[in-house]
Amino acid sequence: MTDVRPLQVKELSKQFARKRGLGSVQAISNISFDVNQGEIVGFIGHNGAGKTTTIKCILGLLKPSEGNISLWGSLPAAPLARKRIGYIPENPDYDDSFNPMEYLNMFASMRGLSGIDSDWMKLLRRVGLAGWESTGIRQFSKGMRQRMSLAIALQSEPDLLIMDEPTGGLDPIARKEFRELILEENKRGASVLLSSHILSDVETICSKAIILSRGRLMAEGSMDDLLGEEHLFRITVISRKTGREVEETIPETDLQSRIDSMRKDNLTIVKVERALKSLEEVFMAATGGVKQ
Amino acid sequence: MKAVFTFSLMTLRMLFRRRTLWGILLIILLALAGIASVPSFDVSNQGRFILDFGLFGIEVGALLLALGLAATLYPRDRETKTLMPLVAVPLARWQYLLGRFLGAALVQAAALLVTCLGLMLILLFHKLPIPGDLLPATLLIIVEGWFLLSTVFFFSFFTSPPLNWPLTTMLFMVSQMGVAEFVGLLPSAPGLMRALRMLLPHADVFHIKDPIAHGFDVEPVYFLVAIFYGLCYSAFMLSLALAVFRRRDLK
Repeated sequence: MTDVRPLQVKELSKQFARKRGLGSVQAISNISFDVNQGEIVGFIGHNGAGKTTTIKCILGLLKPSEGNISLWGSLPAAPLARKRIGYIPENPDYDDSFNPMEYLNMFASMRGLSGIDSDWMKLLRRVGLAGWESTGIRQFSKGMRQRMSLAIALQSEPDLLIMDEPTGGLDPIARKEFRELILEENKRGASVLLSSHILSDVETICSKAIILSRGRLMAEGSMDDLLGEEHLFRITVISRKTGREVEETIPETDLQSRIDSMRKDNLTIVKVERALKSLEEVFMAATGGVKQ
Repeated sequence: MKAVFTFSLMTLRMLFRRRTLWGILLIILLALAGIASVPSFDVSNQGRFILDFGLFGIEVGALLLALGLAATLYPRDRETKTLMPLVAVPLARWQYLLGRFLGAALVQAAALLVTCLGLMLILLFHKLPIPGDLLPATLLIIVEGWFLLSTVFFFSFFTSPPLNWPLTTMLFMVSQMGVAEFVGLLPSAPGLMRALRMLLPHADVFHIKDPIAHGFDVEPVYFLVAIFYGLCYSAFMLSLALAVFRRRDLK
């Protein structure tokens, strides 16, 4: 049966040789994960954790030392698989002597797309570059270059978007717009691999997260599983003494008996909800940070 | 191939917009004007002098253009990370290399034709006849320029631009040497030096300035063989460059 998963990474390792033959550095070690159809997967880790190295292996920019990568069941170098990818590099830059419209036209031609200027105008409007289509990229700020990069990535309506720190250095409004665009693309049917330092972004839009530390996979799972890993529940009741709301966190196994005892005591139960941790807490715990 | 042509067009436009091209072109034209202004004793000598040194100037110009246009292309693409979105998605590595090469080769050819035009104007200014073989001679220099360009691309995948300049210049100088001259560099190993000379390029086949300056005709077959040799050697150097580029990790 053909594997239709957009991305499958199996036991991926990458070593870099040090200069002058002084041994090697293990950048990533035995990483396995999948991106399934329609998922937005957050790829998180501290600086040097191996996120960019993994992404570059996926894109064929780096050759894995060990392991396999498949895009819709094909090798990363397969032209048909590459055509279905949109990529936003970390700190993207473009040749200063061109303007966005020239760039989009050239990329369209290289990709064999049939769009015309009006299509690219729409695209530039969508990423917030309306009115800048004829301005040289040399005049663009970092945020505008990132928007430009997003326009190029979205140009082919990709089935898999691979984004390496796309919102790093952006202001909060631009970050919100980026998040909304990612969600729109996901609604259209694109799967997304989003590498980011900004945990709140990942927590807001991702359905799954992968946590890397020092080149190793520390945790992986759906956001619900990661944030509610220990199956704790929070019960809010009104205190009889003070009349104020009081919260109590208990394990799932004790939930029913505790509710029964509260009812027996005539306590007013306001709400019962899953006690979720923040992604930051999960990240710190997974990577050996101090905050639990 | 459409992707290659689009990318070569992009390279061509980019190089035309850079100051490097215009700077080198100006230097070559000023050098040609300088050669023409050197006083000579009689008219026939002056024509020979202008043609001989003019074509030599255009040949050195081909080297300067190859280095100036191509030595920084790949290192700059890597440094500014413009390479990543290109090679990650729309282009295969061979398409990147071929696109950059074709773009630079067209710009170099155009610039060399301008210098040839400059040389013709100088001859006209001195009321000297323009030899019929001047344009074919320039064409051979253009082919030599493409060979130099492919050499620059080859070195650029594993050296920095400051190292690329001396390496390419050294190969350029060696490629001008005859077998006897080359063996003279290491007389204790004549067999090895002869074999090495066979492998190294023979840029002397592109030089027809002496017959032109002295008014001798050059057989059309010679032109065709020299062009074929130049194109084959350029393709060989590009294949080597691709072999190196394919093995490179783009960190």
